[in-house]
Amino acid sequence: MIKSYKFRRGLANGIIYLILGVMCIIWVLPFAYLVLHSFRLDGAPVGNGYILPRQFTFRNYIDLFSGTSSNADVQASLYFPRWFLNTLVVAACSCVISTLSVLMVSYTFSRLRFGIRKTLMNIAMILGMFPGFMTMIAMYYLLKIMGLNGQLVSLVLCYSCGAGLGFQISKGFFDTIPRALDEAATIDGATKNQIFWKIILPMSKPIVVYTVLTSFIGPWTDFILAKIIMGDKFNNYTVAIGLQKMIDINFKTTYYQQFLAGSVVVAVPITLLFLKMQKYYVEGVTAGGVKG
Amino acid sequence: MKKILAILLAGVLTATAFAGCGGGNNSKGGASPFGDEKDVTLKVWAPDAAVELTKSQVEAFKEKYKDSGVNFNIEVVAQGENEAATLIVTDPDEAADVFGFPSDQLNRLMAAQVLTKVGSKYAKTLSEEGDNQNAEATIKAATFTVEGEEGLYAYPETNDNGYYLVYDNTVVKDPSTIEGVLSDCKAAGKTFVMDAGNGFYSCVFAFTGGAKIDGFEEDGETQKFTEYNEDEVVQTLMAFAKLMKTYKGTFISNDVASISTGFTNKKVGAGIDGPWDTAANKKALGEKMGAAKLPTVDVNGTPKQMVGLFGYKYIGVNSHTKYPKSAARLAEFLTSKDAQIERANQVNWGPANLAAVTELGDDPVLAALKEQSKPENSVPQVNISGTLWTSFGTLGSEMYKDSWNPDDQAATLALFKRIIANIRDE
Amino acid sequence: MTYVEYKQLNPLQRFAFNFKKFFKNLPGALSRFFKGLGLAIVHFFVGIGKGFKNYGTTFVKGDWATKLSYFVFGAGDFHKGKYYKGILFFLVEVLYVLFMVFFGGKQMYLLPSLGFLKQQQLEDEYGDTYVVQGHNSMQILLYATLTIVVTIVVFAIYISNIKDAYRHQVMRANGEKPTGLKEDAKEFLDGKYHITLLSFPILMISIFNILPLIFMILIAFTNYDGDKHNVLFDWVGMQNFGNLLNVIDNARKARTFFGIAGWTLIWAVAATFSNYILGLIVALMINKKGIKLKGVFRTMFVITIAVPQFVSLLLMSQILAEHDGAFNMLLAHFNGGVNPHVNFLGGQPWVARLTVIIVNCWVGIPYTILSMSGILMNIPEDLYESARIDGASPVQAFTKITLPYMIFVTTPQLITQFVGNINNFNVIFLLTGGKPDNANYFNAGYTDILVTWLYNLSMGQEKDYGLASAIGILVFVICATLSLIIYNNSKSMKDEEAFS
Repeated sequence: MIKSYKFRRGLANGIIYLILGVMCIIWVLPFAYLVLHSFRLDGAPVGNGYILPRQFTFRNYIDLFSGTSSNADVQASLYFPRWFLNTLVVAACSCVISTLSVLMVSYTFSRLRFGIRKTLMNIAMILGMFPGFMTMIAMYYLLKIMGLNGQLVSLVLCYSCGAGLGFQISKGFFDTIPRALDEAATIDGATKNQIFWKIILPMSKPIVVYTVLTSFIGPWTDFILAKIIMGDKFNNYTVAIGLQKMIDINFKTTYYQQFLAGSVVVAVPITLLFLKMQKYYVEGVTAGGVKG
Repeated sequence: MKKILAILLAGVLTATAFAGCGGGNNSKGGASPFGDEKDVTLKVWAPDAAVELTKSQVEAFKEKYKDSGVNFNIEVVAQGENEAATLIVTDPDEAADVFGFPSDQLNRLMAAQVLTKVGSKYAKTLSEEGDNQNAEATIKAATFTVEGEEGLYAYPETNDNGYYLVYDNTVVKDPSTIEGVLSDCKAAGKTFVMDAGNGFYSCVFAFTGGAKIDGFEEDGETQKFTEYNEDEVVQTLMAFAKLMKTYKGTFISNDVASISTGFTNKKVGAGIDGPWDTAANKKALGEKMGAAKLPTVDVNGTPKQMVGLFGYKYIGVNSHTKYPKSAARLAEFLTSKDAQIERANQVNWGPANLAAVTELGDDPVLAALKEQSKPENSVPQVNISGTLWTSFGTLGSEMYKDSWNPDDQAATLALFKRIIANIRDE
Repeated sequence: MTYVEYKQLNPLQRFAFNFKKFFKNLPGALSRFFKGLGLAIVHFFVGIGKGFKNYGTTFVKGDWATKLSYFVFGAGDFHKGKYYKGILFFLVEVLYVLFMVFFGGKQMYLLPSLGFLKQQQLEDEYGDTYVVQGHNSMQILLYATLTIVVTIVVFAIYISNIKDAYRHQVMRANGEKPTGLKEDAKEFLDGKYHITLLSFPILMISIFNILPLIFMILIAFTNYDGDKHNVLFDWVGMQNFGNLLNVIDNARKARTFFGIAGWTLIWAVAATFSNYILGLIVALMINKKGIKLKGVFRTMFVITIAVPQFVSLLLMSQILAEHDGAFNMLLAHFNGGVNPHVNFLGGQPWVARLTVIIVNCWVGIPYTILSMSGILMNIPEDLYESARIDGASPVQAFTKITLPYMIFVTTPQLITQFVGNINNFNVIFLLTGGKPDNANYFNAGYTDILVTWLYNLSMGQEKDYGLASAIGILVFVICATLSLIIYNNSKSMKDEEAFS
């Protein structure tokens, strides 16, 4: 009886291992394909006619960072290292500002009580639901009045301006921190400001990491707004527009493999960061999600 | 009320502008080609392929005018021509002062009022006999009537923006009929590539049947068509659909980028491609590259010439430029006969300048394009409604589908009528 | 049902109870929502009326300095010795006047007509063209919106200036002294801390979210189309909405709108539930007791989240390509070496639609796994303990405890995901770009959802900003109403103080 139970459990686990294994392969295979082809030697861009590359090379990566192409007669104006640096700077700055605004807004809504609090929360929730394409042109001209169009600062502003609207998850997290802590501190004479910085923030590592992570990734993936703001200023492009440019109809024939290599270069650091921070990400999204 | 106000104010403004301008020039006295522009900063957009060339031409321009006393600061920025209109329309102040663009963007640029009219004196030399004369079609396409006044709004740069049949001459023996091309490809186990899902190429199906576009209706935005025989169009469409079915696996609808790739890895025998890929195709095929005008197609026993879009490229002057005179001089310089010859030699662009064409002689690709540019083989790529591309794209992709029955006359007619209605936005 | 009765139910019954309650309450919630909306509007106007009354009475009761505050900002504060505030108020007035004189006034003057001067191209005596630029309706509209927003803010400051002046007048009458800068600053770190914390985010949101939003709403009433960026366009009233909702003539735009709206809904439901159910199953498998390498499995899935979507989705569309896509070549191996050339993304409409839903699972399941894993670990162990004591089998424990708990806890997430999928731009745009084409639609294909259609209309070949804004507004109204109702009736909102 016990033996058969064990056997059944073992069988069930075996099946689960099998399913999970197959799924993992399905999930990872496309990326393996990406990585393999980024090392492909021949000049054929799309439709290479085979699944596995026949010869491997580092040339695509070297070309990518030297801004040349060995299989193009005419060099396109690509400055990948520069774009990478731009994106890194923009992502770093905007993730600091975003994280601060998110924490400020969610602390306010979670802990402070004032008249128009619920109204503000409702407004904030629905503001984010407006499809953004139409507002982009307006944003461009607003930045232009400020003399910021075509500059990296404007990207930082655009990516972090709306961050405060995404307060739900971290508010949910703050809601789970017992209020008794605040009350005790208030009795000891702490102001709200001190409570925020000295009591709540130190306890919020998961949600801080979660917010930092999500806001850090944004700039790496946006290719629409950034394109509008940057126009023809290639020096200030981010990797997303740059990679998009490489598979533009004019360049696809010659730059396709550099696009693959570039994608790998972009994906690797974010993936590593994510894997390292995964634990906090899960904690953050769980704690915030249960209530949010 | 609004209109009256507008006219009144415009009148006053014009008057003051005239007064102001006349006075300004008088005090200067001399007729410098740059007026009173002294420190000139200009931005030029050229596609990546032509950036280096344009830079050297700009240097030559500075050299030519080094005695004019004007301090030039000219920047050449790489900007694909396909995006020129979008960028300049979004924010003309930040865009280039002098920029290259293909003819199908003319209407958008005119609608957004970002092109400066070519000075009438110079415009005249572009259409009169002489070293400056350009192909008539290129002039005609860029001539617009604004507020009752006719004028040329861009400087012709090339007369080559169309597609032609490019083939591996060891595979295709006779490029004159599409049936021949397809059967040769099939016999050699290679494919024939045409981007049938892309309106830019698939308009061929309707044009060949006689449904050619012919500018706009009175309203300036509804696409007009030449008179056509509906039955003839439907028969032609069915002939094309039949070819796709008969040569399934040989007739491939794919991105044009896959043509040069296919030549390299020996999978493609022929394709319909344009000058933008000439360099890549030449590199892939070398001596084996053949080029010809579009072939004929057999419609119920009679061969019909396939008709494609054929456009031109221009250099335009941004109407928001701060230095209109310098920008105009630069545009003139960049489209002169010598500049066009240089461009043909270095980046394979077929000139619009007639003297340049004569001087260059025959290159197989340029010859094929010249043949293709004839009115019986092509429709000018101007005055095109934005709805055309996706609609004709749908026509091609519907016909290319496995499920499409090429013998179904009624369905073909219904599809064609639907497409025309979509283009005309009815 | 009383609280005690509720507590005695098992989790499944509780879930059923809540589920039933939710739908039973939905009509009520809807009506409450609109009643609330109506009340809010009434309150708003009553408030304005009251404001006017106060405005008048304060003027009558005010001393000379308070009266002066009606014209010179900060006069009252300055007179009562609150210098820093008085100066700040006055500065606002000066800046506003300058703003209006040099910028705002002209925009407001041009707003009703949206400009009327056309561009002129004239020739000078040397045969060179010079250009006299005309009005630019888009900029007029945008800058007028900016002026209006600034004016509203300044008006609020103006009112608070009057209130402050009167407050200080009353305080002086009572013999109180106004607080100093130091005390005020302290108050902003404690009692008024919400103002300190919210002002920066609200400022940013007002400039970059709200202002463009008002601009966009206004555009829906104009005939602004793609290439009229720098030229003139006009107000057209409700015409764009008329085109969209004109079902009677079965006009093409209306047909496209309803067709796409239908598919958007199907897509959102399918995408949300497929992700949810499959994600839940995988999460359960990973978190099952006795399964090792949990971290490894989770990591494998997390890679999809970390790789930027435009890379992974473009990659997918490349792999699924009709002719030389890797997947078709893989199929060729099982097909005797003959490439089947299946057109996953642009062939049969239903194939393309199914493909986007499946690929969306590939993209979305990892998110579900991550959040589910966390929640699964949080299920109180004693629930299982007592179930085991009662003799429940593992299957029963799952259906009676795990499932109801998960569904109960994750309902809010489900809703946000649903709304998110309605606006899920990336998957559709990067994968199929809306293909296969649909000859019956206006500028859209079979897999296009409302947002991607909106993209075509605002950034694509044939632009129509007016129409796009109208669609944007309709989508927004639907999403916002839905989520406001659900959110305000959700447990987490009602029991906000539960944990405190």
